[in-house]
Amino acid sequence: MTMDAAAAEPTAPPPGFAVPGVRLRGVVSALPGRRLENAAFEASVGAEAVADVVKMIGVQTRYWVEEGQTASDLCFVAAERLIEALAWARDSVDALIFVSQTFDQRLPATACVLHGRLGLAPRCQAFDVGLGCSGYVYGLWLASSLVAAGCRRVLVLAGDTISRVIDPSDRATALLFGDAGSATAVEADADAPPAVFVLGSDGAGAANLIVSGGGFRTPAPDPRRPPGLSPEHLYMDGGEVFAFTLRAVPSLVRDTLRRAGRTTEEVDSFVLHQANQFMLRHLAKKIGAPDRTPINIDRFGNTSSATIPLVLTNDLAERLASAPTRLMMVGFGVGYSWGSALFDAAPLACVETVTA
Amino acid sequence: MSAFYEGLAEIFEIEPAAVGPDLVLADHNWDSLAVVSTIALIDECYNRLVDGAALARCERVRDIDALVAASA
Repeated sequence: MTMDAAAAEPTAPPPGFAVPGVRLRGVVSALPGRRLENAAFEASVGAEAVADVVKMIGVQTRYWVEEGQTASDLCFVAAERLIEALAWARDSVDALIFVSQTFDQRLPATACVLHGRLGLAPRCQAFDVGLGCSGYVYGLWLASSLVAAGCRRVLVLAGDTISRVIDPSDRATALLFGDAGSATAVEADADAPPAVFVLGSDGAGAANLIVSGGGFRTPAPDPRRPPGLSPEHLYMDGGEVFAFTLRAVPSLVRDTLRRAGRTTEEVDSFVLHQANQFMLRHLAKKIGAPDRTPINIDRFGNTSSATIPLVLTNDLAERLASAPTRLMMVGFGVGYSWGSALFDAAPLACVETVTA
Repeated sequence: MSAFYEGLAEIFEIEPAAVGPDLVLADHNWDSLAVVSTIALIDECYNRLVDGAALARCERVRDIDALVAASA
């Protein structure tokens, strides 16, 4: 490098945070029992649209909840299995974070209800985080920050039932989404190397992926919405979201490597939010690790906050249970919001998928 | 034949030889899926990100070429 080139290099430190002393102990994903094939959508959007959309998104099957089953129900089943497998005493859990955009009720926080169902101690804090695609990474970030502040054991329960907010006749969203829940155990461990996080937001993209109804602001009309799409249903401008992803994700991965002082080759697996198969293949090439970027959206669809744990428990389970693994987890989308987490994971005591 | 035109031929599901500057996009199902695929193709071939709305407004392949050149 010449002196001139060196002078042109940015002098700002890499963005992000390094949190020492945090370990992942286990991850459980929970899928609902109802499995839907693509043929189930031919009646609502037409066979031709199904073929066109599937070519792009790559979803072949997805699992949807039955009426009356919620994201917290899925997360509860995952959490029960995780607590049992790790043999964690219920009164040893210091915090419960519920990450979801499909909560049980407007108030109280669903985390408080889950706290009760799981029989956790009165001194255990419980709160909700309303993020989707990026939510799992934010959950890990918050859990790690709580551990850095003195908590010993934190449960991150992340899950969504986007099937409940899609219009079955909207071809942009009808086939893309699946439902799932998850539970992840985070624990203090003085010997753990620092986990690295890079996080960000761009509220200018809020209207491009939105359920505008159900809150306390009267939804503003948006001429881009398909006619007849209710404010209670999800609207997605796929092209805009895709363009955002191409702008945000490769630089997010670069920033995270830079902050951690690592190269692409030193990361064992890039676990990306399973947004869309075409997008994932493109991003995997851009990152430069298509062989280490697992894709499972064909089997589960886009499960919002649960996609990353679903990759961990389905595609990486054997590896995570048996060998130390350097994982970069990358979430991006609704908000816009994005985040990455680089963990040096020791073998996990529990990593599995259950049916709820 | 450039890699970009070959990629366009794949998106339009036509013979690569049929892709040229005068090709009319509307004749080949220039919908949102095609636009998104083309954004990715431009990123792959030229390492440039073009605006989706501007791309959707292109009428012929030459308009895409001009958009790519202008995004440098």
